[in-house]
Amino acid sequence: MKTMHTVVVALLTIAAAPALSAHHSFSAEFDANKPVTLTGAVTKIEWGNPHIWVYLDVKDDHGTVQPWQCEGGAPNTLTRNGWSRTSLKPSEQVTIYGYLAKDGSRTCNLRAVTLPDGRNVFAGSSAPDAPKK
Amino acid sequence: MKCLTAFLLSVFLASAGGLGAYASGQQDYTPPVGPTPRTPSGKVDFSGVWEKPYVPDMSKDGKGQKGQPDLPFTPWGENEWKTYDAANGDYTGACLPFGMTRSMNTPEPMQFMQSDKYLSFLFEQNSWFTVVPIDGRPHRTGDPTWFGDSVGHWEGDTLVIETVNFNGKTRLDTIGHPHSDQLQLTQRFSRPDLGHITYEVIVNDPKTFTKSWKNVRTLTLRTDWEMMEYSCEENNKSLWEGRIKVPKYKP
Repeated sequence: MKTMHTVVVALLTIAAAPALSAHHSFSAEFDANKPVTLTGAVTKIEWGNPHIWVYLDVKDDHGTVQPWQCEGGAPNTLTRNGWSRTSLKPSEQVTIYGYLAKDGSRTCNLRAVTLPDGRNVFAGSSAPDAPKK
Repeated sequence: MKCLTAFLLSVFLASAGGLGAYASGQQDYTPPVGPTPRTPSGKVDFSGVWEKPYVPDMSKDGKGQKGQPDLPFTPWGENEWKTYDAANGDYTGACLPFGMTRSMNTPEPMQFMQSDKYLSFLFEQNSWFTVVPIDGRPHRTGDPTWFGDSVGHWEGDTLVIETVNFNGKTRLDTIGHPHSDQLQLTQRFSRPDLGHITYEVIVNDPKTFTKSWKNVRTLTLRTDWEMMEYSCEENNKSLWEGRIKVPKYKP
């Protein structure tokens, strides 16, 4: 099952590969070796350039609710791809697929989201330029 | 396992409706068909809103992009490349000017506005612009700049734009390929039909590369898009909260 979960996450990452933002290098902030999956309730959306930010409350392994923040693409390009500032609403339960920030904070790069109705949507930021050298 | 992977991918893509319009919206677009448009004076007219391929790495091929593998670094250039780590400072994260190549490389669209004397590059990325004389005049003299000094001339129906006098503070692409203040950039634009621009960018920088190299791309006319405001400073949380560092530049 764990393998299946890994495959699904990998596919989400692959399918979300077209980048929607190039504001800064992915590796300036995030770690391509630390993918993360977060399920929780949306608490706030910030819809502004250079990136949208999605805030959510996520229960940790001990059942304690922890606040997270995740950086998505640029609102201009997300708008052209069907998003709006009301696409995600506070209190909605979502699952976010992304990568952790290098500084160890509860911050991630938002690559894809599973909505409450089960649809998977792209929210891609800058991961395709992660250095491969 | 391959079958399972293909199945899961198809399920995911099939479920990516609505907000997942990246797959259905952009890829369904067909540019208008017609002959190369011309200005009243008979020059090829590049005006319009253009979709550019996102090129985070100019050494790689991509959709609408032919890259240059095995970049011919000089020892200086190779050291600049091997020692670069964006985590130590990426100027674009601080909303500093991307420079010419990195602006052309972004996934955000651009608009060309053209007269007999000028071609204006209106980049949606950070709402930057650069205005290029295309009437054959020589380069201006002055202090080096982020976007350099550009002038253009016509070679038949191809508009050739040469850019020099860069300040050397930018990177060629998002992944961070280097250049120096000796960079001489040549951009060649042709419009084989109404819906497309064939774009070549030739990098010549004797301090960084032993020989010149190029990328070739196709730009697509987007009659369904309009340019949107992009304020990079509006909510640059990553910088404000210290996760992105800014290179220290001498004035």
